[in-house]
Amino acid sequence: MAPPASRQGLVLQTCALSKHFGGVQAVNGVDLAVPPGDLRAIIGPNGAGKTTLFNLITGDIAHDTGHIYFAGEEVSGLPPQRLCRRGLGRTFQITSIFRRLTALENVQTAFLSYHRRHFNILVPARRLYRDEALGLLERVGLREQATKPSGILAHGDQRRLELAIALASAPRLLLLDEPTAGMAPRERHEIMALVARIAGDTGLTVVFTEHDMDVVFAVAQRITVLHQGTVLAEGAPAEVRANGEVQRVYLGQAR
Amino acid sequence: MSGLSVGMLLFLVSVGMSLIFGVTRIVNLAHGAFYMVGAYLMVTLVEFLPDRPWAFWLALLLAPVGVAVLGGVIEVGLLRLIYRRDPLMQLILTFGLILVIGTLVLLVWGPDNKSVPRPEALAGSVKIFGQPFPSYYVLVLVLAPLVAVALWLLFYRTRWGMLVRAATVDREMLGALGVNVAALYTQVFVFGSWLAGFGGALAAPTVAVALGMDGDVLTTAFVVVVIGGLGSFAGSFIGALLVGLLQSFGILIFPAVSIVLLFALMAVVLIVRPWGLFGRPEA
Amino acid sequence: MSPRSWLAFVVVALAVAPLVLPSFFLQLLTEIAIVGLFATAFNLLMGFGGMVSFGHAAYFALGAYTAALLVKRVGVPLLAALPAAPLVAAAGALLFGFFIVRLSHTYFAMLSLAFAQIVFTVIFKWKALTGGDDGLLDVWPPSLLKSPAAYYYFTLIIVGLCILALHAIVDSPFGYALKAVRENPRRARYIGIDVRRHQLAAFVISGAFSGVAGGLFAFYNGSVFPDFAYFTKSFEPLVVALLGGVQSFFGPLAGAFGFKILEWMISRQWPVYWPLFLGAIVVVVIVVLPSGFVGLVGGRRWRRRPAAKA
Repeated sequence: MAPPASRQGLVLQTCALSKHFGGVQAVNGVDLAVPPGDLRAIIGPNGAGKTTLFNLITGDIAHDTGHIYFAGEEVSGLPPQRLCRRGLGRTFQITSIFRRLTALENVQTAFLSYHRRHFNILVPARRLYRDEALGLLERVGLREQATKPSGILAHGDQRRLELAIALASAPRLLLLDEPTAGMAPRERHEIMALVARIAGDTGLTVVFTEHDMDVVFAVAQRITVLHQGTVLAEGAPAEVRANGEVQRVYLGQAR
Repeated sequence: MSGLSVGMLLFLVSVGMSLIFGVTRIVNLAHGAFYMVGAYLMVTLVEFLPDRPWAFWLALLLAPVGVAVLGGVIEVGLLRLIYRRDPLMQLILTFGLILVIGTLVLLVWGPDNKSVPRPEALAGSVKIFGQPFPSYYVLVLVLAPLVAVALWLLFYRTRWGMLVRAATVDREMLGALGVNVAALYTQVFVFGSWLAGFGGALAAPTVAVALGMDGDVLTTAFVVVVIGGLGSFAGSFIGALLVGLLQSFGILIFPAVSIVLLFALMAVVLIVRPWGLFGRPEA
Repeated sequence: MSPRSWLAFVVVALAVAPLVLPSFFLQLLTEIAIVGLFATAFNLLMGFGGMVSFGHAAYFALGAYTAALLVKRVGVPLLAALPAAPLVAAAGALLFGFFIVRLSHTYFAMLSLAFAQIVFTVIFKWKALTGGDDGLLDVWPPSLLKSPAAYYYFTLIIVGLCILALHAIVDSPFGYALKAVRENPRRARYIGIDVRRHQLAAFVISGAFSGVAGGLFAFYNGSVFPDFAYFTKSFEPLVVALLGGVQSFFGPLAGAFGFKILEWMISRQWPVYWPLFLGAIVVVVIVVLPSGFVGLVGGRRWRRRPAAKA
């Protein structure tokens, strides 16, 4: 089913997306419309359905009803590797990297795959995309850690690495699931400012979930508020902040 | 018809392995060796007991007990030490046990094939649907389902069975509820070993009791649990029946055909339901 | 000594061995080389791919029987028969691997074992083709290669080439991606790698080189038997790789050396006891090892965690 013509330009769109687990409606008729270049924050109390929504979009969980469109095409049921080829990247709540490979190898492997050379058995991989990988590591502030096994890096550095890995695949859309989890406040702002900078430079669209409201209001262009699986409110940060219902349900209970 | 009997024997072995995995999460590769020990013990018991009608039945009773004891020793002495390890390490350890047990059997009983004579009462054959059918197989067809029913009652109608089923779903919770999970593990392993030993003892009069019989039964039991699903009672039953029938059916045509049929069946199941017909999707 | 000088030393030592050692030891070294290749091929899958196969004897046997059958029944010379070994072994690995890689961890190991036993049973029962239990005898190399020293050099060359190839593969983009798959299949997917396809490719490569080892062994042994496919043979590369260290490329080769020497010493005195000894060593080593063993194979992934979506 083709998306409504008026929304053809959207990078990501969901229509009436729903998923229930047993008796619990985790995601209930969520309509999402993310235009190119958007820096979208998805907020909501724990259990609001944020990670489930991500998992539905990337196909980790099958949705019950509704549609998911990426760059105008229906993508339900596509495995992650196909989504990646189409330009969808993701990071996870629990950092997901290649622990026993060095930071450099992590990113190099991502480049190798992106350039479809990962079945090549004829050349040594050590030199391939080394400069590009170092460049990307530099971008996320990990140049010095390049030759260290990524598993021993500090938590924040691992998350930066994961960002670099995701960026190596030249995504059009980046889904960041709680990118600042486990970080101190200053580092949170740093990393999200980095994300915003990179997104601004490359025209990348970013959708991220976040609990820290300071970070959200500092960085997000638009905010979608989820509550019990439905969209409670959506709009520019100032609008959302002023929204009475949002205040009542969420911000009023915030730390 | 004999396919059903073969299937029944297979069921006894597979359900034990499935049970052990379901509770302890260990795949006991030495299960085939337990089956073999059961058969060899049967040989010895039948030899040493006086030549009376009841001797066979006593042997059938005692042989699995011997295997159960072996299982208990292994569980307490070895497996308890590795429950927290890599599943890989556990697999390799039970793989190593195959070699140890196999060599011990060789040392005790020697390299020659052995056999167990069928009891007089069951030495002949009966006519079923006009075809001659070995009477002993009737015993198998009667005893094994009885055991299956007894197992079902055990798992679904007794408290112990409920604990076992709970353990297959969530061991930690069970421990948190105050159940002595370690003791449960031992009991389950011993019981599973008993089942394998019983299968071997019961099968002894129908096959050549020889070294290497552990490999044959292990493979077939694997196929059963792959098809039926590890940890599932129904899976072991249905799977064993299917495999037993296929094997017997295939042998009638051409020995290699049964292998191909088994392979094809496994392939189909794996494509449609990779964790077995009745299994649960988990590592 | 630096790795380079070690390598040089080993190469020189191997080259002059026939001048110094009696033919029995040359034969032992030949066997070590063959087992070393088998274990290294196996370790491509285990150490670098994070997949533990309990049925690799199948590909070894397929290679051995292919070479033997071509020479005996079809009259093909050794140099033509030997390359066929990895082809047939790879075909078997492709067929079985297609199903095996759909599973993971325990199921993977078990299914690989089951398939290997199927190969064993087919070889055993198909007497007309394979000679069944009697095996195929008089599978000798041509007179040029028949002497222990000649076949020793021949084996070293072939094994050496294969090891070089495997090393190149491990260091290639394919190898990088394989290691990534081992470390984190989910992340691998999200950078565009089709995990199953990659694992299957590794499986086939591993099977092919195992087939070369089998072919070499057929002519070394002069005969092939069904138990080349039996699960106890599958145990060998596993133990050898573990002994030598699965995280290093040359570990299995070192392990092969130690393993064969050990086997020779024990089998000399108490031939019957070797499997017992082997099994007992394995059992003891596993029980005694530190509880971590994290660095072994994919570390955390093998711990009791819900499997990542396959």
